[in-house]
Amino acid sequence: MEQISGGRNINRRRFSLVRYLVYSYGLFIFSGSQLIAGGIKDDAELLIKSYFGNEVSVDFKKVSVDPELQRTISKKVKQRFYRNEVYTWKIMKDDDIRGYAILDNVKGKSLPITFLVLFDPNGQVIHSAVIKYREPIGGEIGHPNWNRQFLGYTADSLFRVGQDIDGISGATISVNAMTRGIHKLSYLIQTIKNKL
Amino acid sequence: MYKKVAGGIMLLSVITNFVMAQDEFFEPGFMVGGYGELHYNSAKLGEADASKIMDFHRFIIYYGYNWTEKWSFKSEVELEHNYVKDGDGEIELEQAFVNYHTDKFGFQAGVILPSVGLLNDFHEPPLFLSVERPEYSKYIIPTTWFGNGVALYGQSGGFSWKAVIHEGLNGDGIASMWSQGIRGGRQKGYKSNAKELLYNGRIAYTGVPGLRVGGSYSTTKALRSEEGAKPIGVSLMETHVKYDANGIMAVAEWGNISFTDHSVKSSTGYYVDLGYDIGRMLNLKGKLYSWIRMTDINPGVGHDSEEGMHYSKIMFGLTYKPINEIAFKLDYSTKTYSEKEADKVTLVNLGVGYNF
Repeated sequence: MEQISGGRNINRRRFSLVRYLVYSYGLFIFSGSQLIAGGIKDDAELLIKSYFGNEVSVDFKKVSVDPELQRTISKKVKQRFYRNEVYTWKIMKDDDIRGYAILDNVKGKSLPITFLVLFDPNGQVIHSAVIKYREPIGGEIGHPNWNRQFLGYTADSLFRVGQDIDGISGATISVNAMTRGIHKLSYLIQTIKNKL
Repeated sequence: MYKKVAGGIMLLSVITNFVMAQDEFFEPGFMVGGYGELHYNSAKLGEADASKIMDFHRFIIYYGYNWTEKWSFKSEVELEHNYVKDGDGEIELEQAFVNYHTDKFGFQAGVILPSVGLLNDFHEPPLFLSVERPEYSKYIIPTTWFGNGVALYGQSGGFSWKAVIHEGLNGDGIASMWSQGIRGGRQKGYKSNAKELLYNGRIAYTGVPGLRVGGSYSTTKALRSEEGAKPIGVSLMETHVKYDANGIMAVAEWGNISFTDHSVKSSTGYYVDLGYDIGRMLNLKGKLYSWIRMTDINPGVGHDSEEGMHYSKIMFGLTYKPINEIAFKLDYSTKTYSEKEADKVTLVNLGVGYNF
């Protein structure tokens, strides 16, 4: 009897262990999905709302950039695309388009820099910001004073560090990367804004 | 007990998930980079024949690996003078550290750099105008100064800071190479004596585009091997400013090393660079800086032979950067010692440097 009783206990324990593992796995998947769905995208949308105001509506879309378009733009700005798709938003208020936003990566010294550029309906830069900086040096490119230099820029602007864009001592690689990155998105918005 | 274990597994899995989860904008991976510089140096002492050498002075490979957005490894290996044999040339592991980074602060442990002056942290050749690094960055700040240690760093608004605990200095090296400040005392991470450590702190402001203003303080007791010899007290204080915008390149650094129990009371020096991108007037695609540098180095204040080592130097140069990552350089300089009988030295340097 003791053996049977003991066997039942073991079965119950096994059942409980399986149940806990299933729950753990469920929680694991749930917490991961929440983290991926939130994070950077939420940070970008917060910034968009803080710029345009809470009354606007934002229409989010992931946009794939086809290889031919990547090649054409990369050649012009001398920087490759980091990813094959970008996050985009169309910002609306009372059926009027108020602007667009694109979130993308550029390569820093050893880690990607995730940045957001806001455009007016004509594709002029109205705001830029670093959403995620992962390097120990060069984080100064997130400073608003540096980003203000791009206001009013379009794809046809010069975008040349040391000429129309001032650098930051100690952040050379990041400065060059982000300047080219904003130039790249300035070209991209012209092509994709009508599809958003 | 059993439920506690199962609950622990559940909690651990969730924590692990939060730690390891990445968004679409980051993927683990490695990164390779580097920099290097080729120099031609001609030096003429008084009326003697000039010495002329060509030297691939530095070849550096940077390798990094990123496990997560927060945890990464970074390293730099340097080959100096293209060849290593019988004590000539050097292979050095200048950086090799684990880095933990958050939006507000970070942590490093391994072979790291004390944060001192403009060039110890950022020494890629396109960042300075001259063919060789400024002599200030040799005799006052022993660039590249690297060794074993840990660091905390952070950034807020336009300010950044770094605090470093690092291997100390070798007092015997400082004593025997007194005319080079603390350069001879670097342990370079080689089985470094950790009985006395170096404490270093730096703050810098970069809130205005093109401007960097900063300063640092470092202190240690440099141990001597001779029985009964007191350690040399070392305190290095420096300040630096750089403005690189609107075609103007202006740099100034000043530093002072105070010693105790040493034949030298202090080592002090400064340099000032003033340059302008004349490429703007010539409608060049790249940048062409025409510049002047004034330097004064007195490494042996209070030493019997102080005047023989105290010198000033004036340098003129042209630096062409077709792109920001490549620099072709030419400079001409004369070096005059305080000691009246000492011969004037005339130097002509040519070079090319790159980073990627």
